[in-house]
Amino acid sequence: MMQAVKQTSPYIRKDVSTKRMMIDVLIALIPVVAFSIYRFGGDAILRILVSLVVMIGLEALVFGIMHKPAKADKWMDRVKSRYAEYTINNITAPAVSAVIFAMLVPSKLPIYAVVIGAAFGIVIAKMLFGGLGSNIFNVAAAGRIFIALAVTNMFDGSYLGVDLVAGGTALTSLRSGLGFPGVLNSYSLIELFFGNVPGAMGEISAAAILIGAVYLLIRKSADYRVMLSTALTFTVLMLFAGIKLYPDLALEYVLFHLFSGGLMFGMVFMVTDPVTSPVTRPGRWLYGLLVGVVIVLIRLFGAYPEGVAFAILFANMFVPLIDYPKWATNKIKPAFIVSYIVLLVVFSLVVFFGVGGTV
Amino acid sequence: MIAKTKYIPDGKKELKELPIVHYLDANYVYYPVTSARCPEGETCVRGGQFVKVGEVVGTRKGAFFEQPMHATVSGEVVGYEKHIDNSGKVVDCLIVKNDKKYELHESIVERTDDEIAALNKEDYIQIIKDAGLVGLGGSAFPTYIKLETKDPIDVVIANGVECEPNLIADYSLMMNNPREIIKGLIYAMNASGAKRGVIAIKKKYKEIEERLKFVLQEFTEFDIKVVTVGNFYPQGWELAMIRNALGIKIPQGELLSKYGVLNFNVSTLQSIYNAVKKRLPVLERLFTISGDGVQNKNFRARIGTLITDLVELAGGYTNEEAPKVMILGGPMMGTNILRDDVVMTHTTTSLIVMNEKIDKEEPCVHCASCVYSCPVEIQPVQIMNAYKVRDKEMLKVLEVNKCIECGLCSFVCPSKIHLTEYMRNGKRFLAK
Repeated sequence: MMQAVKQTSPYIRKDVSTKRMMIDVLIALIPVVAFSIYRFGGDAILRILVSLVVMIGLEALVFGIMHKPAKADKWMDRVKSRYAEYTINNITAPAVSAVIFAMLVPSKLPIYAVVIGAAFGIVIAKMLFGGLGSNIFNVAAAGRIFIALAVTNMFDGSYLGVDLVAGGTALTSLRSGLGFPGVLNSYSLIELFFGNVPGAMGEISAAAILIGAVYLLIRKSADYRVMLSTALTFTVLMLFAGIKLYPDLALEYVLFHLFSGGLMFGMVFMVTDPVTSPVTRPGRWLYGLLVGVVIVLIRLFGAYPEGVAFAILFANMFVPLIDYPKWATNKIKPAFIVSYIVLLVVFSLVVFFGVGGTV
Repeated sequence: MIAKTKYIPDGKKELKELPIVHYLDANYVYYPVTSARCPEGETCVRGGQFVKVGEVVGTRKGAFFEQPMHATVSGEVVGYEKHIDNSGKVVDCLIVKNDKKYELHESIVERTDDEIAALNKEDYIQIIKDAGLVGLGGSAFPTYIKLETKDPIDVVIANGVECEPNLIADYSLMMNNPREIIKGLIYAMNASGAKRGVIAIKKKYKEIEERLKFVLQEFTEFDIKVVTVGNFYPQGWELAMIRNALGIKIPQGELLSKYGVLNFNVSTLQSIYNAVKKRLPVLERLFTISGDGVQNKNFRARIGTLITDLVELAGGYTNEEAPKVMILGGPMMGTNILRDDVVMTHTTTSLIVMNEKIDKEEPCVHCASCVYSCPVEIQPVQIMNAYKVRDKEMLKVLEVNKCIECGLCSFVCPSKIHLTEYMRNGKRFLAK
């Protein structure tokens, strides 16, 4: 006799998986990782491995603590029962966070700082919020900000410390004397684009990042809306700043900012993190705008030379607000388009009249 | 992945190539006395009584309408048995022993063209009511009620989109009997006073488009057009189909007739033709058996045939030990059944048998594929979250009742979350 089982419609599923999405991000990270290894050799490999071991290991440990064991006589069986729900995504997801986190730190950052950051990211920012899918803050960004604030002295002082937050030295030199356009003599746009500059391991090569971006977009494992919205906002605002500050070199100014610091990397690999993004089309545009605005404000007016990770954490806090069902809708309505443009214009004006300190 | 999904693999090509087995001689045929829409019913024949093809053997009673049941064979009434109907419920069925002579009932006389020309709206409605015609696209909604509308009708649209995977009934009907569909459409236009007729089909069915256009050359006095719509899912949903074929945007919950539109499935139109021209109820239909758990075949079978017989004729189940999922209808919206002794009724189009495949649910990663793909533009993931905390207020705000249960949200979810089931639960919870 044939055995019939109960199911409800639909009975078929698309050939996609969360695992595949995670692996796609890892694949997209290959050019960046390869470049960091090429530039920093063993230092890069070591930090990536440490980050991977800490994040995957701690996720597994905390996962076990979070799940109740079944009743069993043998100690080993009880431990095993805690991991009944443990899947491949408990490895792929922390692996993605770990690689991204490693790419955010400078190559000479002491190993224990890497360990602290990775541990904070995975335990505090992810597992304490409920694990995969439940975290409201980007794991890598949270870990990065934590070490930036907690072990600040690792980052300044000597040259190797690069800069305070997630930036490159090009941005630091913008503030510490060289200024624009003088900084272009030390770091040409071409060098900035290809990554022949000091900076955090994965952030320096815009070229490598863009290859990853193309892959992510072709695979549709990242939403182009957040990337585009962040890029658009950032470019428009920086253009206004450039026009005000260096009318003859406005374009170079914008390109310099686009290719320096953590902007590109954050835009491609962090802002696109679906878990910490809104779930509607307009919401994602708005989220990208928010990230773009905060990065620009920090770079132009903030105490730090760079703030991609800060901007992402800041925007993360607004996600529940953006997604609040009473106003969230997936339809792109005219009212939304108007408000988006108005916001862009308002912030452009803020930037235009704010920069240079000559209000 | 993180994008709107509009295409789903439909598996129709292979099925279209299978030959159609004619199985019209079942020894016994069964007529469910009740149905999903008609919870009550009674028969008007006794055991031992001899019935003829087209004879009324009983009446099913719905909330606001009655529906006659017709014999589809001639022979002796032998009693009752319990079987499963189209909705998966166990129902009482009247059994008729087929004498295989197919004697027609006295009432079955063809109408002449002159007689048909003299029919007015009320006549049409009465004919269709007497024939017990229902929406054969799957809704099983009584056809005459649609025609009873007082609203002026501008256009009758024939829905030949059939967007569910694995279904080819409408396709083969349009290929083999285009004339009957077109005539049925003309009758429906006459009955409703519509000036225009539109047949909506999928873009990729070039052969159907050619075939219909060729036959339409015989009917140039009528304004009937073939319109193609995209090969998307769920394009057969009437509001999507009407929007794309006619450019009329009808909000959910509104009657089509208010916008001057009437929509019939192509096979319903064929049944209108048979009822008006030949005075026949629906006697047979195409039935497809597909899926990886069974030998695949197409059948032409008589209404009342037991599907168990058809499965056996097709060659039975494959890989008997593997647990199977049985579906009546399509793989996206069909009904799950646990036994195969289903009685074929007007609206039974296909049986799909799949070897069970268990997808483990992973946590939601907010990719929003479900939100992007939803054809009614609600937010499945948010509805799931609201349902999990039993937030009635929020479910209302999120308009869970708009959901048409097309299944796309579950289909696209990379975490294999059964969102459609959450939608159904949300609706039920809201109704409580």
